[in-house]
Amino acid sequence: MTGFLPIVRVTLRQLLGGKRLIVLGLLGAIPAVVVWLATANRLSSKMLETYNESAIPTLFLIVMPITSIVLGSASLGDERRDGTLSFLVVRPIPRSVITAAKLAAAALAAVAVSAVAGILASVAVSIRASDWSTLVPTVVGLAISAGSYTAVFLVLGHLTSRAVLMGLVYLFLWETGISFAAPSLANISLFRIGLTAYTGMLPESQTVLAETLGSLTPGAGGAAVKMLILGALAIATAAALLRTRDIT
Amino acid sequence: MTTSPAFVSDPTITVERMSKWFGQKVAVSDLSCSFGTGLTGLLGPNGAGKTTLLRVIAGLLQPSDGSVTLLGENPRRKPAVYAAVALVPEEDAVYGFLTARQLVRYAAQLSGTSTDRVDQAIDDVDLGDAADRPISGFSKGMRQRAKVAAALVSDPTVLILDEPLNGTDPIQRANLIKTFRRLAEERTVIVSSHVLAEVERMADRVLAIVDGKLAAAGNISAIRQAMSDIPYRVRVETDDARGLAGPLMTVDHVSSVAVDGGTLHIETNDLSALGRSIPELARSTDARVTAFEPEDESLESVFRYLVRRR
Repeated sequence: MTGFLPIVRVTLRQLLGGKRLIVLGLLGAIPAVVVWLATANRLSSKMLETYNESAIPTLFLIVMPITSIVLGSASLGDERRDGTLSFLVVRPIPRSVITAAKLAAAALAAVAVSAVAGILASVAVSIRASDWSTLVPTVVGLAISAGSYTAVFLVLGHLTSRAVLMGLVYLFLWETGISFAAPSLANISLFRIGLTAYTGMLPESQTVLAETLGSLTPGAGGAAVKMLILGALAIATAAALLRTRDIT
Repeated sequence: MTTSPAFVSDPTITVERMSKWFGQKVAVSDLSCSFGTGLTGLLGPNGAGKTTLLRVIAGLLQPSDGSVTLLGENPRRKPAVYAAVALVPEEDAVYGFLTARQLVRYAAQLSGTSTDRVDQAIDDVDLGDAADRPISGFSKGMRQRAKVAAALVSDPTVLILDEPLNGTDPIQRANLIKTFRRLAEERTVIVSSHVLAEVERMADRVLAIVDGKLAAAGNISAIRQAMSDIPYRVRVETDDARGLAGPLMTVDHVSSVAVDGGTLHIETNDLSALGRSIPELARSTDARVTAFEPEDESLESVFRYLVRRR
């Protein structure tokens, strides 16, 4: 695919350059600090419970979504706002390849930042508990949710310059508030897509996170399929927008 | 086939009754023209619709009405056509974190062409010394040249340049104009610019746009000839300006005469008739004429007339 890899490379530099990576890196360190403090003087048997009550909400409701919203929105949105989109569009590349490359770059960046945050938090608890069972489920769960978030915010970032604000409103009103009101509302929740993967891979976490999961069934396969469907829809929608909307 | 100077015989770009509006604002109105091999200058005041026209041609904007074809295709439906097209947009925006060489290489990769031409494209715009510095530290002129190099690297058949000379110094400008003219020998090159003297120097053909409409098309002299309702201004140097001014006022085709020391500024509706009258009157008044020059053949004068006429 002509252009796919060059677009991914340049977009990664665009997204992770300058102060953005430092700010997101500092944000990513928070769960590790939280879980390190929270598990101090705890019994080994309570370590996993503490991890699920402190690190998982911080990772899935703060670090991963904020990172993914910022990077997803910026991937195409910054090009539009900065006026560099014409550099990409006046090329013999199908629009779907441009949007797929943009999504791939944003998802890679968001997954990398979220995964590092997850690994740090998981390592923090694993050292104390001498149990490394949380590491892979945390990374997989975060990666699936980060992929889902970036897919949605790739499109929103292309549509509006207020995508980050909209994302934060969605995050703090819906994800952390309204979606807990009824079990069925959990279906319309992006962070829960990854959380079902996490709980599917780490069944002992299901008791603590049962209320958060609502009506969702734990399982990594279904979560991955949901993320892939969201990704495909985002690529198609953003490509259609590139074809039909004016690039000013 | 139409013989209007707005059209060319073997077009690579055709604009048919194209209009573009943004909300209530009409940017381009019912404009028809075509472009072929050679360098066409696109001229007009700020907000005339030049950039909108170029962006519609490049497929960045969808026409509100009418149609545009680029190498026989609608580029919004068939991006493959962009393999032969390059655009240098007006905006200053470039990827500041890339070096000029990385930008040009990126452009080559996106266009699916060999990166062997990267050095040549950088040399074409005299950016060799700064090629490995980040663009964020470049002056406006250097950014412009980096963008032009990124456009040249794919060796396009159609080159669309929106104000490419902005911010460049006179030497760089002269070099770029030379490059554009060389490219235009075998390609379609469209250059919009408000640097009127340079458009005059580089363009074989000019399209003047005023208020989103095509005000005139053709070469500079032809455009001027077409504006028969606007008097020509002629400057005459003589050793007896006052003596020559009197009889000139009685000549039918002369509409006004102004004396400025040894210079006469004459307005006439018939330039050739004035050219015949001056020697006769000079002989009859014993005046010695040392210069006879049309004052308003420059593009700037033509352009000023076009704007005033609308």
